[in-house]
Formats: sequence, C-alpha cells, structure tokens
Amino acid sequence: MTNSITVKNLTKRFEFSVKDPKAGWLKNLFAPTKNQVTAVDNISFSVACGERVAFIGPNGAGKSTTIKMLTGILFPTSGEMSVLGLDPSTDRKKLAYKIGTVFGQRSQLLPNLPLTDSLEFFGVMYDMSDALIKERIAELVEIFDLKEFVNQPVRKLSLGQRMRGELAASLMHRPEIVFLDEPTIGLDVVAKKALRDLLLRINKTQGTTIFLTSHDVGDIETLCERTIVVNHGQIIKDLPTNELTKTFVNEKYIDLMAKETFESFPNLPTGLRYAEQGKDKLTIAVDLKKLNVQAALKQLLDLFEVEDINVYNTELEAVIRHIYEKAKI
Amino acid sequence: MRELRLGRKIIGTLIKNSAYNPQRIILDFFALVARCGILLFLYKCVYNWKGSNINNTSYQVIAWSIFLYFIVSIMRPRDITDAIAQDVKTGSIEMILNKPIHYLSYRFYTTIGTGLYSFFILAPLGFLAMALTLGIPSTMTTHAFVLTCTIVGFLCIALSLIVHALLGVLAFWMEDITPVYWIVDKFVMVLGGSYLPVAFFPPVMYQMAIWSPFGAMQFITHTVYDSWAAKAWNMIGIQLFWTLLFGLTLLIVFRKAKERISVNGG
Repeated sequence: MTNSITVKNLTKRFEFSVKDPKAGWLKNLFAPTKNQVTAVDNISFSVACGERVAFIGPNGAGKSTTIKMLTGILFPTSGEMSVLGLDPSTDRKKLAYKIGTVFGQRSQLLPNLPLTDSLEFFGVMYDMSDALIKERIAELVEIFDLKEFVNQPVRKLSLGQRMRGELAASLMHRPEIVFLDEPTIGLDVVAKKALRDLLLRINKTQGTTIFLTSHDVGDIETLCERTIVVNHGQIIKDLPTNELTKTFVNEKYIDLMAKETFESFPNLPTGLRYAEQGKDKLTIAVDLKKLNVQAALKQLLDLFEVEDINVYNTELEAVIRHIYEKAKI
Repeated sequence: MRELRLGRKIIGTLIKNSAYNPQRIILDFFALVARCGILLFLYKCVYNWKGSNINNTSYQVIAWSIFLYFIVSIMRPRDITDAIAQDVKTGSIEMILNKPIHYLSYRFYTTIGTGLYSFFILAPLGFLAMALTLGIPSTMTTHAFVLTCTIVGFLCIALSLIVHALLGVLAFWMEDITPVYWIVDKFVMVLGGSYLPVAFFPPVMYQMAIWSPFGAMQFITHTVYDSWAAKAWNMIGIQLFWTLLFGLTLLIVFRKAKERISVNGG
C-alpha cells in the first residue's frame, strides 16, 4: 500500500517577542526579547492511502500545527513532509487541488448566500467545468442529503446542516485526503453521527484518506482505525485505536448489582477501589497490575451479596484522559 | 484564464450577495449624501460669498471633483486593510491559504465584489443627479477626459487596494495597525482633494498631491480641471509607477509575512 502522507523529523518552532518591563520602550520596540516555543518536535510518521487516522493530544500538543503544515498553511522549521508526493510548503497550490479541509471552528461557506452558491464558488476555484460543477453538486446533495436546505442562506442553517455543507464543500473537487480539525465541535449527538457516517461512507466508497484531530472520543472510536497520540509536540504512541485501552490503562471495571441493597461499604483489598458507590449498584475499579479479574471477583463475592455482575474495559474517554493527565506530570 | 474566471465568479457571487442584503447600499447612499452633499453645500456657500470663480475654478468644476472622490470611495478599497488584519488576527487566513488561489488575489476580488454593487447603482444615480442639478462641465466632454477617465479611475482603485492591502499585511508584525491606517487615510483624504479640492492647494501641497502615492490614489479628482488635458498622461505614468512599486513591495512583504503565520489549535 502506498503512503499518502510521509513525515520525517518534522519540527515547527514559533518565535515571539516578549515585553520586558524593565527595559525601555525603545528596546522593546526595536530589539525585544524573543521567546521560542516548539510546537512540533521532530516527529515522524506515515499514513497509507485510504487510511483513517486520528491525531490526538491535549490542548497545545501540536495537532493543529501539524495539520496546518501538512496542508501548506504553515512552513516547518525543519524536517521533511510529503503529501500525495508533493511538498506542502513548496507545492501548496498543486496540493490544494488534491486535499480537502474542514476546520470545525471556522467556516468556508458564504454566509449570506444559499449553499449552492458556495459549492459553485468552490467548483470554479478548483477549476472544474460548469457541467462538472452541476453534476458534482447534484451528487453531493444526494450523498449528504442537502436537498431540503441547499437553497437556504448558509447563515440560516443549523450547525449540523452547516457542517454537512462544510464537508460537502471540501469534497467538491474529490480530494484524495480530507484533513479534519475538530469537525464535530458543537454538534449534537444526531448531527455528530450523521457526519461520522458520511465520512466513513466517502472513505469506503471513494477510498478517501481521513486525517482527523478531535477531542471527541466518539469521532476517534467510530471513525479511525489508527490513533497517533501527541503531546508537547512529540508522538507518544502510534497504534490501532482498539489497542489504546490495553496499552494505556491497566484497569478494568466491575459493576455489582445488589441482591437487595448494599448497606455497608467495607475497605477493599489492595488492587481494588470504589469507582462509584450506590445502594443498588457498585462500580469497582480493578488494578490489573496487582490483581487479575478472577481474583478480584472472588474477593468481591466474599464481601457483597450480588444478583448480577458486569465486567468491562475502561471507556476510551477515560483512557485518553489518563494519557493526557499522565503527560502533564 | 482560470484566474479571470475565478475573479469573475468571486465578484459575481459577491454582487449577488450584496443584492440579497440591501442594507449596505442604503448605508452607502446616506454616507454619500451626507458627506458629499454637506461639502457641496458648504462650497456653494463659499462661492456665493466669494464670487463665481475662486482661483480660476468654477463651483461646477469643484463640485464634480469632490463628487468623483466620493464616488470612487464607494468602492471601499480601504476595507481591504481591515479584512486582511482580521484574517490575520483571527487566523481565518488559513481558510484561504489551503485553497488553490493566491490569498491577496482573493482579497482583491472580494473587496471589489463587495463594493461594486453600490458603485453600479450609486455612481449612475449620483452622476445623473449632479448633471441635472449642476450640469456637466465642458472639461468632462473633452477627448482627454473621455479617454483617460476610466484608466485613471481603474488605477486609483488598483493603487488604493494595493496600498491598503500592504497596511493590512502589517498586522503580521503589529498588534494594532489602526494608527498607521489612520495616518495613511488622512493623507489620502487631504492630498486626494476630498475636503479641500486640489484647485485650492498651495503650490507645495499641490506638488505633494502630484508626486506622492497618497495623492495618486485619488487622481480622479484632477480629471475635471482645465489643466488635465496637458497633464493626463504624466499623471497616469505617476500612478502606474506607484502601482508597480507598491505591488512589488506588497508581494515581497506578503511572502515574508506568510512565514510568520501562527494558528490557534484545539
């Protein structure tokens, strides 16, 4: 399988002036003290064609900076990168024809005009013929179910409708890769699901590579088969999404449903702790480094009278929180 | 060819956008009537008081000169400064930088597209109102005026766009570009002949108006004077010189500015 993205030793440093209160205004104006922040620190990775990759990390980890370097917006301080065989910093315009971008916190649509105008506008921008633009708009209206609002001014659309429009606009020219920076931010659960389904659909039917950053665990879980975790500009982990839990958290949870009610909550043996205490239900966290599930169950059944038991893994959200918190220390 | 098609599309789309939102044209209409109307009224009072000719120039010519200044202003080329500064400050510039279009071209087209609707409606209306109330000065029927008016008008807008874009690009280095914008704007206003027509300028100031880029941004105000026929091509040459010089400077500065882009992430 060929790579659509290859990154080698990529680094981006931002330099900014800091006002020195002790220095005079002349020095602050003409020779200010410079501070440097390394947003991306010598990272290397590659993404295969058609892959769905989540690029996650806490705020300030370097996710957006990386995406913006890969899309040609920012210039790297050092390192190499290749997106679809092109260098984003020197072939920005050529690359723009091959990639699509959705930045959840910004809109690329024309607010006062109907969505069709924005789609036509992007069609022309991507040098498509008038006939092709018409054909592609009809196709996107069908795929994204835009029919009921395609003729409404964008500013009158709901956030969910607008985001569908944003995605449609970014796919107007059939890009080979879509870069998404927090695409589901602010959306309700229904709209989130609709957007994720659409992304999966274009990945499956058109083989579009998906490179996504998000703080929404649902986006990562449902959309991405692979997750790259970054922090302080460095890659902490690069692994299949379904292995995240195993790798980062050595904990399992056991729900105990009371036969009648739980009246007392005795101290638990080493390796067990109360995650939730209720009269009808208890949730116990098991530290797998100290105790296996079988031993844990045995000890818990000696302590409590239960009617039902449920054993499950940590939710991905907790895993990610755990990674971020660990990274802070 | 592609660039032209794209420019046509952007301008066409924005004209349509303006048509959907009539508030802007209403605002432009009242701004024109208030600013230009008040000035014309004041100069009328001055002429009534001083006589029909001041500095060998009739009220009719002065009025048309002021009117041409304001009619070019309706295109609002100055707005490009704020648009670029906002794009830089908010980071919205990234939405254009990942598209197959040069950011500056995009901003030029959008500024023209936004102002053109008001211009197309208000310029003929204003022209008609001026012609009916004051008549058309003989200088505006000469070959020199007819031949050069469009060229000078086009260069006024091109130079204004370029200089104001350059001010906007300064936002990459400066937190607040308002003071610089304000100084340039006032220079253009004074040397362009908006409040004080160029015919009344003292010789030094007149030379400044001719040779500085601030004056060149509003050479349209010179086209109605008797002296225009003799100076037209020289002044077009000056406008061309400033347009090329600032155009080149803008490209170089923007190339440097792109390296300073920083974006807020999640």
